Amino acid sequence: MQKKSKQPLMRKSHLPLILLGAAMIGYGLLTAIVGSWLSNQAMRGLITAGAYRSQLMAFEQTAGLIAGFLFTVLFILCAIRSSGIVRAAFSIGTLASAGVLLTGRAENLLFKGMGLPTLGAGSVVAGAVTVLLFALPMTILFILLASGGQVPRGCRWLSLASIFIVLGTAFFPIYVTVLAFLLRPGDPAVGQMMEVSSQVIKLRFILPGLSLLFLALISERFSTKQLPAGSADNVIAKGELI
Amino acid sequence: MKPSIGKTQWNGLVVLLLVIVLLAASCKPASVSPPVSGPSEDFFAGLNLVVPSQYDPPIQMDSVITVDATVKFLGGNDIHNNVWTRAYEQQLGIKINYKWVVDASMYDQKLSLSVNSGEIPDMFMVSPAQLRLFHEAGLLADLTSVYEAEASAKTRDVLTQDPVSLQAGTIDGKLWGIPLTDAAVASAPMLWIRQDWMDRLGVGAPSSMADVLEISRLFTEQDPNGTGVNDTIGLCVTKSLWGAIANLQGFFNGYHAYPGIWYERDGELVYGSVQPEMRAALLALQEMYAKGQIDREFGVKDINQVSETIAQSKCGMAFGVWWIPYHPLNLSQQNDPYAFWTAYPIPSVDTTPAKSQYRSAIGAFLVVRNGYANPEALIRMVNFWADNILQSQDDDLRRVFLGDIDTPDVVLYKYTPVVVWEPNAIIDGGKKLREAIARKDPSSLDLEAQWRYRIIQAYFEQGTLEAWVEVATNGPNGSTSILEQIQEERGMLDRYFGAPSPAMAEKMPTLQTMEEVMITKIIMGDSIDMFDQFVQDWRRLGGAEIVKEVNLWADGNP
Repeated sequence: MQKKSKQPLMRKSHLPLILLGAAMIGYGLLTAIVGSWLSNQAMRGLITAGAYRSQLMAFEQTAGLIAGFLFTVLFILCAIRSSGIVRAAFSIGTLASAGVLLTGRAENLLFKGMGLPTLGAGSVVAGAVTVLLFALPMTILFILLASGGQVPRGCRWLSLASIFIVLGTAFFPIYVTVLAFLLRPGDPAVGQMMEVSSQVIKLRFILPGLSLLFLALISERFSTKQLPAGSADNVIAKGELI
Repeated sequence: MKPSIGKTQWNGLVVLLLVIVLLAASCKPASVSPPVSGPSEDFFAGLNLVVPSQYDPPIQMDSVITVDATVKFLGGNDIHNNVWTRAYEQQLGIKINYKWVVDASMYDQKLSLSVNSGEIPDMFMVSPAQLRLFHEAGLLADLTSVYEAEASAKTRDVLTQDPVSLQAGTIDGKLWGIPLTDAAVASAPMLWIRQDWMDRLGVGAPSSMADVLEISRLFTEQDPNGTGVNDTIGLCVTKSLWGAIANLQGFFNGYHAYPGIWYERDGELVYGSVQPEMRAALLALQEMYAKGQIDREFGVKDINQVSETIAQSKCGMAFGVWWIPYHPLNLSQQNDPYAFWTAYPIPSVDTTPAKSQYRSAIGAFLVVRNGYANPEALIRMVNFWADNILQSQDDDLRRVFLGDIDTPDVVLYKYTPVVVWEPNAIIDGGKKLREAIARKDPSSLDLEAQWRYRIIQAYFEQGTLEAWVEVATNGPNGSTSILEQIQEERGMLDRYFGAPSPAMAEKMPTLQTMEEVMITKIIMGDSIDMFDQFVQDWRRLGGAEIVKEVNLWADGNP
């Protein structure tokens, strides 16, 4: 059986992947900081709950729009700069931008635009849809990277861990919300989980962003190690590097 | 050649399996608690109960109690043998024996039969009218001295938080009944407005009744629900006019009118519904109705139909008590996930702040039969409740005596008639919760309050819009903070809290019907002169006599 040779994730430069990771971290940090600042203001009674909602929504819609387009461009660049299963992974990853674009808009789209019933849990349903739109493509992205034979070993292990990170940060808050409002309201144990959940939500973009950033760094390191070892000749012959 | 599975495919398979396992695990429900059995003596042994004294040997106390369909029992328990009967016997040395048990709707009738047949329980619950009746018949024990001697500090605190509660149980300077206290101020109306509609239309908080009328106009004319159809009204009103939900007393209060209650004016108690301030409020309501800001069919719509209007996002304002977000305002999220109602203090028609009217919450008293050898036993039972249930922050103790979260239908305190609530509990609880929210530290809260904290946190930190109900009531600037203002300076307490006087008992029902008909007709377009006619008729048909009796009572209850 022919053993596939390992290749870096990106050809020429890892800059698109680094930028994608950084953009995701930046977006995650910005939403976490602004969200925390606004909720602090509201919880101290400095602004009303109505003002909190409208200011947060305005921010989420603007930031989501900018971040969504930025992610789309960077995912496409990553797909262009890669090949094989990695290209397929980033192509699917592009779909994750839809989840970001929908942030702050999902309720209107689902319940007013599409006329779906809210079932008395409109924000939970809309939140779950937004999260799924982001998390599922990201999960598939990491599954493909983890199972790619040409992907450097370190990248595959990190991708494997990232699957759990994406799924955990995406589904744990939804799971806790369902427990808290439907299955076990009033349960002190769920109360503790809600505390954790409010922190996990803030990591929803930061951790996958960090994963992408580390993937880029590991892959970059791999490519610089490969070149002096002489294996680059083979790759250069295929016209895939530099 | 036999196809072989490559390492890559194996890896992929393993990854997929792990993902599936993770997904399956995330769908698994939380750990299920073991079934709860009835509390046994062991529970008392491990609890930090406050019990200063115990009868030895135990005494017998015959009593009576109501049990309705909502009262559920854990296995092996019934109304004669439950956590409360066992606690009274083992902790206080009081063997309680319920001579009869009836549905609450049959209680007064059954009690009258028992008393008339001479079978008077040792300790039982009475209405204000029965308190006076049984006292006059000499059937009740004087509790003045036993209260002074036995009442614990917490019991005294609870029974004096509402300044009229002990007074209500006092006749001729002596205490004959222990009032079953609750939060009087909880019945005070406030103004509830769809905040999301106000934000959408760029409207600020109302600072006067003129603002209220303008918001009502905008809600009716500017399509705040975004359906593109003229299907909204400004103000929800039920056909009953008064009550906790979609009432009108809040609107009248904005005009300094206080229908249905007695308050002091020029040194004497007057009946609010016949005062001149009613006029301006009635005219304003009439105009709102004429402009379609009040449902054209409000005169036939009960609370269920009004709730339906709220659920359909067709109504943007309602006067109601502090808890109405729990129901029916919560229904508005069925059609609009952004629905959010905010409470405001009643705005005023002029520069004098408006006051929300409310009544004493004392609807019943616990009394002891005249001749019963241990009247102080009742005070000890009240102490047991106050010192352990109200005073304690011990969640284990509360679980044993009130109920467990795993069996929410089993409300244990319904097994005893000796239940007094702290009148200030809602206000104090809301205050503590808001302080904890501002500090972002729930550690000082009891379990129930901690849960409310988490729900509010879910709204502000996780975007769970369905949590707005808790935000609107106990959150920053929530309705319980308005209750605090009402209790301090913006409330108008009904000054008459005695049993119905003879003329009141006989004539008030008819006069109240006249009043409701008059108000409904004027709102729907009849001449305002009808109000003047009503005032004259009210005095002539018994009102003047009632005023005399009420003021006579007030002289004895300053």
